[in-house]
Amino acid sequence: MTSAGYDSPLKNAKTKARALRYIQIILCALMTVGCVFPLIWLIDFSLVKANELFGKNFLVWPKEPHWENYYLALTDGKVPQYLLNSVFVSFVSVGLIVLLSVMMSYGFTRMKWRLSKVFLNIVLLGFMIPIHATLLSNFITFSRLHIQDSPMALIIPYVAFNLPQATFIMTGFMDSVPKEIEESALMDGCSILRLLFTIVFPVLKPAVMTVIITSFINVWNEFIMAATYLTSDRFRTLPFSIYNFAGMYSSNYSAQFAVMTLSALPSLIAYVILNKHITKGIAAGAVKG
Amino acid sequence: MDRIRRNKLVIFVLVFPGLLVFTFAVLYPIFMSAYYGMTDWKGIGEFNIVGFENYRKVIFEDKIFRTSLLNAAALAFFTVFVQHPVAMFFAIITDKIGGKLESFFRAVFFVPCVISIVVTSKMWVNVLNSNYGLLNKILDAINLGFLKQDWLGHKDIALFSVIFVIMWQGFGYAYLIYYSGIKGIPEELLEAGRIDGANSWQQFSKITFPMLKPVIMVNVSIAITSSLKQMEPIYLMTNGGPGTRTQFVANYLYMQAFSAQKYSYANAIAVVFVIVCLITTVVVQNIFRSRD
Repeated sequence: MTSAGYDSPLKNAKTKARALRYIQIILCALMTVGCVFPLIWLIDFSLVKANELFGKNFLVWPKEPHWENYYLALTDGKVPQYLLNSVFVSFVSVGLIVLLSVMMSYGFTRMKWRLSKVFLNIVLLGFMIPIHATLLSNFITFSRLHIQDSPMALIIPYVAFNLPQATFIMTGFMDSVPKEIEESALMDGCSILRLLFTIVFPVLKPAVMTVIITSFINVWNEFIMAATYLTSDRFRTLPFSIYNFAGMYSSNYSAQFAVMTLSALPSLIAYVILNKHITKGIAAGAVKG
Repeated sequence: MDRIRRNKLVIFVLVFPGLLVFTFAVLYPIFMSAYYGMTDWKGIGEFNIVGFENYRKVIFEDKIFRTSLLNAAALAFFTVFVQHPVAMFFAIITDKIGGKLESFFRAVFFVPCVISIVVTSKMWVNVLNSNYGLLNKILDAINLGFLKQDWLGHKDIALFSVIFVIMWQGFGYAYLIYYSGIKGIPEELLEAGRIDGANSWQQFSKITFPMLKPVIMVNVSIAITSSLKQMEPIYLMTNGGPGTRTQFVANYLYMQAFSAQKYSYANAIAVVFVIVCLITTVVVQNIFRSRD
């Protein structure tokens, strides 16, 4: 670099470009540290004794990993039970979100009726309504209907609150799909509902993927409704394990960190496997929504 | 053909189930809240109708409600003017880096977004802890020990700590939206700029930034409305404290209902909250539309 001044202009420009590239990479590397270092710290201290957290080091080498922290997380933290609940609630909710949003969007974009625009806008209004404003009165309604403290108390609001975005993505996509294939099938006497599931659904695949990804992330990580509508332990979902456990083992930080690590793990694994689809889905969902 | 598309029964079957669920869990509770807000109900027992008294208090007298809105405004401000420029900057440079490194960085920046807010919030409570927290240890190690703080407990700092954590968690979203916007700019445009001798800044200000405008609008309006709706990080990190320094509307109404037993008052807050959200969304969209 010292001799750069004497080099030919072309070479000079090349050195400059390379230096710039290094700077860019270094900046991104720093950002990477900012994004993941707290998580690494968390995992690291989940493997040692709780009192090591009070030492001077940022990270410690777990010479003898204290797996009993994870044992506590799995038993007293009830991670497996909460995980199963989460899986059940998420799959049912996301399935219903996809089904209902496809049906509704077809009704709004392809069927001809006077109030279709009005009803579509009412659903899209849901974008603006904060979940938290409904917590209080849903709490009362659900207990009156005796569905509080059951999976229904989560599935119903999860579906309801994800429908606006799902419908927005679906109607946007349907508008861009030509109707010709449908028309000829209808001419041949195919019923609308059969048409929907045999012809329309496959065409909608990219939009369906986007809806599945965005709503799955929302539902899987949802906390405040689960904390409000469920009063006993039976149906609680994964995010709750940490909250619960923090109370039980308030001074055993390592065990708490183990619970946090374990409950972050399923989404991290899913993300590593599906990261291309997920980032694409999120970007599509946001820009179209 | 037209007859099939106008079939009332088919329309009903298609649209009714979704509308029913939506109305039941989103619209109906708002109307119920509007009603409960006009009572003096404590959540159990008998109650009387008291008219608009609760609403009047929320709008004209409640200082905590006002603090909550101001905190949301502060969050929106920092998100738009700190998080977003940083996110846009990294979107541009990752795009320039290219290849495997680009995909790696893109993937890593989004990691905090896929992890449950409960995990990240509780993690940050520990990172920011004054006794054993990572942040204070780092400050000690780089001889900045005098900056050590009780980050979530100090009355003047707590709000900024909370804002920082929320920005950290949401960075990946903002980044990803800008990133996909940049990927949508035709390569020929930037190429043409380069041939005309534009430097990096000129490329950004004359080509990239104007081309990104629609994406910026979407991203900024998401940021403003979601700042207003924050709850979980606050609930899990400070519960609004110290005092009411980090209070946000959603958390406040929750506390009023379930800890302070002022159920009817909390419902009035909820209804005013919905109205504030609606107005904000409409205003933000109109500002952007008229700019367009």
